[in-house]
Amino acid sequence: MENSQGKEDRLSVWIAVLIALVSFTTALTTWRTASLGSKAGDLIYQGLLNAVKKQASANEDWSRTYQEAGYARDYLVTLSGLLVQENSTDPTSQEQAAQLRTYLLPGMKSLATPLGTDPSYFSPGGLLDVQKRFQDLENQSPDLSSLNPQTSFSQADTYYSEQRWLLLGTIIIAVSLFWLGLSQLEHLRPRLLVLVIGVIVYGFGLVWSLLVEVVFVILRGGVL
Amino acid sequence: MSTSGISNPERGKTLVLILTLLNMVLVASISALQVDASIRSNQANRDSQYYAIQVAGSLVQTGAQSDYDLNTFSKWLTDTQESLVASYSALQRQSANDQQGYERLTLESRIYQAQADQTKTLSVLLTDPAYAPASDQASPDMSAYLADLNATSLAIVQKQNGASDAYHRWSNKSDSYVALLTVLAIAFFLLGVAQMSRPNVRLLFSAFAIGVMGVGALWGLVLLIL
Repeated sequence: MENSQGKEDRLSVWIAVLIALVSFTTALTTWRTASLGSKAGDLIYQGLLNAVKKQASANEDWSRTYQEAGYARDYLVTLSGLLVQENSTDPTSQEQAAQLRTYLLPGMKSLATPLGTDPSYFSPGGLLDVQKRFQDLENQSPDLSSLNPQTSFSQADTYYSEQRWLLLGTIIIAVSLFWLGLSQLEHLRPRLLVLVIGVIVYGFGLVWSLLVEVVFVILRGGVL
Repeated sequence: MSTSGISNPERGKTLVLILTLLNMVLVASISALQVDASIRSNQANRDSQYYAIQVAGSLVQTGAQSDYDLNTFSKWLTDTQESLVASYSALQRQSANDQQGYERLTLESRIYQAQADQTKTLSVLLTDPAYAPASDQASPDMSAYLADLNATSLAIVQKQNGASDAYHRWSNKSDSYVALLTVLAIAFFLLGVAQMSRPNVRLLFSAFAIGVMGVGALWGLVLLIL
């Protein structure tokens, strides 16, 4: 009788140790789950910052492109009028054209370069190829234009996915606490079977959580 | 007076323990759902902000584009009218036998016309078949031009609105799950009190806890379905 009581006491101690271990594992997986959410949040923040920087740079380039387009238009229009004056038979007009070509046109041409002077910026119909000019301006600041917010967002999504799967592991481990708690009831029979179920569920939850961690670390190329 | 509580002070403790453990599983499940709703809310909020940044950029681009296009069209209109006015004036000077005035105004008209011709080649409103006037007397199709100009911005705004709605939906759901967890925390409290009470009171508190857990489970189910 005393031997049986001793066995029960030892079992209770082991169950208590197991419950402590499972509680610790639950706390650990909960911490990791929260940490993953935090990392995902940081990446989203980073992605949005990159999006703002990239868009600000694009806005600047668009504004500059159309400002240059305006200069190019004014230069080309002035030039076309000037050519008529130069080709006229009126000496006054010719003289005025010569003055304009000497003093006004160089400044206008300087502002209109390259959009109004480089033939590669003219489409076959005669329209200015503003898209090409914009792209060229973007290429001049590759550090900003090459920012890709979607990369950060995709990484954040992998952290969120891991968070979901890891949470499932946490719940499975929490369920094992249910069975381990039940096995602590001394009058419950068969107590050992309930304990074994608890241990199996815990083992499954633990392996699940570890697998999730390993798989996602591999998917992220070794980044925790 | 009932003596059952005195004869068996442990009565109902197993039930309380089982209820506590069940409540724990319920809390774990609701926590999982809350985290999922929170993740979806965060993702929708991110998309909403990202689209807002994009639409701001799109408006800057279309603003600069429309400014250029309309100024170019306006310049073409002005040069064309100046050319016509100079041309008419030249004819009037010719009628008045003012040959010098006629030649000067004719030249002026040619200059304006050359400028108008050059401007026309640079104007999308005058060269693109989608907007260009069908005849010299007609105007460009400004409605089609503005519709095309704003199409990208409107498409992004629609996406942004969708993401914003999704954010509010998931955020509300997440908040509801938090409220539900609070309700289940009350069940934990009732079960704790039950565990410490006398057997007959214990059963009463257990019944209250079961009621709260039932409401919580039902609420959780409704949130999950909706």
